Amino acid sequence: MILAELLPSLNELFSWPDMFNEHTALAFNKTALMAFVSTIICLLIFGLGSRKRALVPAGLQNVAEMGYEVIEENVSLQTVGAEHAKTWTPFFATLFFWIFFINIWSIIPFIQFPATSRLAIPLMLALISWVLFIAVGFKYQGKGYIWKAINPSGVPFALKFLVVPIEFFSKFLMRPFSLTIRLFANMTAGHVLLAIFAIMVNELLIVRNSGWYQAVFSPLPFVGLVAFTAFEVLVSVLQAYIFTILTAVYIAESMHEEH
Amino acid sequence: MRIRRFMLAGVIAGVTVLIVAAPASAQDPGVKFGEHLLHCVEDAIHDNEAAIEDEDYTGFRNALEDCEKAPSIISPATPELIWGSVAFLIVAVVLIKFAFPALRKSLADRQEKIRGDLEGAERARQEAEAEKTRYEASLGDARAEANRIVEEAREAAEQVRRDLVTRAETDAAEIRSRAQQDAQLAAERAMSDLQQRVGEISIELAERIVERNLDKDTQMALVESYISSVGSGSAKS
Repeated sequence: MILAELLPSLNELFSWPDMFNEHTALAFNKTALMAFVSTIICLLIFGLGSRKRALVPAGLQNVAEMGYEVIEENVSLQTVGAEHAKTWTPFFATLFFWIFFINIWSIIPFIQFPATSRLAIPLMLALISWVLFIAVGFKYQGKGYIWKAINPSGVPFALKFLVVPIEFFSKFLMRPFSLTIRLFANMTAGHVLLAIFAIMVNELLIVRNSGWYQAVFSPLPFVGLVAFTAFEVLVSVLQAYIFTILTAVYIAESMHEEH
Repeated sequence: MRIRRFMLAGVIAGVTVLIVAAPASAQDPGVKFGEHLLHCVEDAIHDNEAAIEDEDYTGFRNALEDCEKAPSIISPATPELIWGSVAFLIVAVVLIKFAFPALRKSLADRQEKIRGDLEGAERARQEAEAEKTRYEASLGDARAEANRIVEEAREAAEQVRRDLVTRAETDAAEIRSRAQQDAQLAAERAMSDLQQRVGEISIELAERIVERNLDKDTQMALVESYISSVGSGSAKS
């Protein structure tokens, strides 16, 4: 009951006042700010990291090169293969690091807000992924791509009435939706969890002075807060990776005909 | 020392609590929602100003109802969609167009250099291997040559030894033959001397026999005397 009184409505955790262009389609709020700051961080790391071309990399160059190679080895080569890795790794690396830096704001002190917990950002990324894999499908498989994709060979004729709509639904309608919801829901849940523990710590340690039970129970939410903050780091990396690798898998799948 | 550590841990924990809990108490949620409501009502009046003047309150009423509804967190906000897209577009264009190609070139150059170095090292290793084979072959040749020379020297020495032995044997045989010849000559000379002496003695003896008429005992004594004279004569010679 106390918790229910303390907790603000969900909107209080996710809606931010506009900084400028208030109440217009170009209203700039904390979400947009975080998106731009993440952009700047990515540009700084990879821009400065690629400027130095030392034979033995150090500092930012090392970080940038390692980051690029990790994506190439773990995403590109595993999905689109060595043949297309050169073309697609830059996009996958951009996607991964931008999502990661947007996610990681959830644990940065005084900011503590992942911009991906606003539906607009994951939706925008999912739409980009959706458009790309369809475009790649048309490029590699020609005009019949959609039909080839939803009509797997070897399926008995009678089952096609069932399989074709399911394939169409799962490949062309559900993919952007699932990509969006997976990233959005994970980051939202993490943000809410951290907010709940932070409010509990604040109430038990700072606001309320309720006697003995405070001394006994107050460390518990604090321990939980620290643990979930660490967990949120893992979630930030993992969700960025999942989004990137799924996009890569969809694109790789569009390059080849269904068998 | 321990107390200091505990104090430091306490300070860090306190600061952490303040940092992580600060946003939760940054602004009273009620006040924040009130501000939102105020903005929303102001916007509703502003947007429907003309309709209100015409005494058409439908739009204004709908706008006010919307203000009371909290905006859903699962509806994408258009401004965020636009700004998010712009931010991603900037990062994607700059990184894909400029940063990553430079990075890839740097990686490729390094890879090329490492490959070149490795290939150079492999070539050097193969050359060293070939050199070693050549050296071992020449070492084998030298060893065989040395063996041959030693064998030749041994054969030459053997030949020299055999020659020396043969010569020594020849010399010994010559010496022996000469000695035998000398001995033969000496024996022949002795025999000749003996024959000559025996002849002389026989003549002498015959002269004596003829001089005296000898009985049997005298003959015997004479013969014995003759023999002993011959023996002493041969011993003398």
